[in-house]
Amino acid sequence: MAYLTTFYWGWLLGSALLGFAMGWISVVQHGEGVSRTLRWWLSALVVALIAAALTRVVPGRFGYWLDLGLIMFAFYLCGCVIGAWLRAWVVSRTAPSA
Amino acid sequence: MHGLFRWSGKWWPGVIPLVIFWAIAAWTSTEPLEADLAQRSTAALKDTILDKRRISVAGRDVTLAADAFSEDGRQSAVASVEAVPGVRLVDDETRLVPEAKPFVWSAERDVLRVTLSGSSPLPAIRGRLIEAARANLGGVEVVDRMNLSRGAPPRFDNAALLLLDQVGKLKDGKITLSDTQVSLSGMARDLGGREAIAAALKNLPEGFSVAANEVKAPPYIFQAYKDPVAVTLTLTGNVPDNTVHAALVAAAGRKFFNEKVVDNLKASVGAPTGFANAVVPALGALSRLSTGTLVVSDREVKLSGDALYEAAANEIRAGLGKDFPPGWQFKPEISVKPAASPVDATVCQQLFSELLGKARIRFESGKADIVADSAGLLDRLIETALRCPTSNIEVSGHTDTDGDEAGNQTLSEKRAQAVADYLIKAGLPAERFSAVGYGSTQPIAGNDTDQGKAQNRRIDFVVK
Repeated sequence: MAYLTTFYWGWLLGSALLGFAMGWISVVQHGEGVSRTLRWWLSALVVALIAAALTRVVPGRFGYWLDLGLIMFAFYLCGCVIGAWLRAWVVSRTAPSA
Repeated sequence: MHGLFRWSGKWWPGVIPLVIFWAIAAWTSTEPLEADLAQRSTAALKDTILDKRRISVAGRDVTLAADAFSEDGRQSAVASVEAVPGVRLVDDETRLVPEAKPFVWSAERDVLRVTLSGSSPLPAIRGRLIEAARANLGGVEVVDRMNLSRGAPPRFDNAALLLLDQVGKLKDGKITLSDTQVSLSGMARDLGGREAIAAALKNLPEGFSVAANEVKAPPYIFQAYKDPVAVTLTLTGNVPDNTVHAALVAAAGRKFFNEKVVDNLKASVGAPTGFANAVVPALGALSRLSTGTLVVSDREVKLSGDALYEAAANEIRAGLGKDFPPGWQFKPEISVKPAASPVDATVCQQLFSELLGKARIRFESGKADIVADSAGLLDRLIETALRCPTSNIEVSGHTDTDGDEAGNQTLSEKRAQAVADYLIKAGLPAERFSAVGYGSTQPIAGNDTDQGKAQNRRIDFVVK
């Protein structure tokens, strides 16, 4: 993991920024987003992929691509969380005076 | 927290550009990553001794195929690659180098090349052996047919290097090391090569021993050619040392009174035992031939040529082998020179005088025993006597003035008689010869010098 992060910090930073942007938007965006059922399915898929990565059942290049995808996804999620928190904080500070 | 969960439902659309990101990252990074991991894995195995090492990387998974020389080495190689940062899985295709039992290594030499075959314990030792073979055997092609095996005895490399040294001393042959047993066969390059190899084998590392040493030496050759036209005796070939060399040349000088000795001998080790004791009598036999060749090859003595008369031929054929040390063989090819035409008494006397002018019949000091060196001269005197069959011959003995007169008289008589007996024994009729002793009464030179005395101590043949 450490090797991958140092090897591809550019891509991971990109993923995190993408996540940050999505998190930033998500706080103020109207609409339902992804349906609850699909969200569960998608979450289950991610968990299954994480399990596959941890158990190292996917061999060779596919295994590497899986690891890479999951790490990028993890950075994306971190970006989302930070972005959403920050936006929520900014919104909560500006709302009373408005 | 609830908000975060609610907002997260809106994060999923971002996964689409993320997947595009991911695809590009995967597309561009896979091969550099694999190359980097292959390089790091190779570097991690730098100090591990492996044969047939092959590293292939797919993604972050490394396939390591190699032959290891010990179980520890094998495990440590796999662990080294596993420890490389970034490596996810190691597909272990390593195996142990097969064990050879017995551990056999050999070096075979023929005219053109040296072939190294059998087992070698480690690639480095194999390399050293090939290098040593090239260095020791300058100019000869070195063919490597060794394979790598486990199970070499301790200090194998030292033993093999020492044996490679010995291969350089062989003209052709094979040296085999089976576990700790050394077997050698073939032909040494030089005289003394066999002895040099035997001496070097004493320095084999502890635990190694010689099971069979069948290295043969090239034949030890000594030749003597008596040329009646050039009146020379040519000595060629080998002698064991300078002392024997000098002794042989001196013996040749005494036995070949008429011929000039051409000495082309060289000192070489490797002479068979009893060399001088066999060659000196063989030279004596050659001196009795009118023309002939003596070839001594190892312990075989070949004498060919023409004797001066039948009895001499028989005597040489039957007698020479008896003088040899044990283990020596004698192969005579003696024919008899055609009898020379008869001459009258005057010519006969002249021939006797000529012969006795060149050399004297020699006796043991103070005794009447003829020394063996005089056999050649006596044969020529007998041959001459055979040419004048009707003449009677007085064999007269003379001494110098040393000692008392009566003693000299007796000695001269005895010596004359000894010579007459020799002639009769050779087949000449006894009635033709009379032996007379004159003591010191008929000197032919002054008795005041050693040289004069030596001239006075003589046997004369007088045709009556």
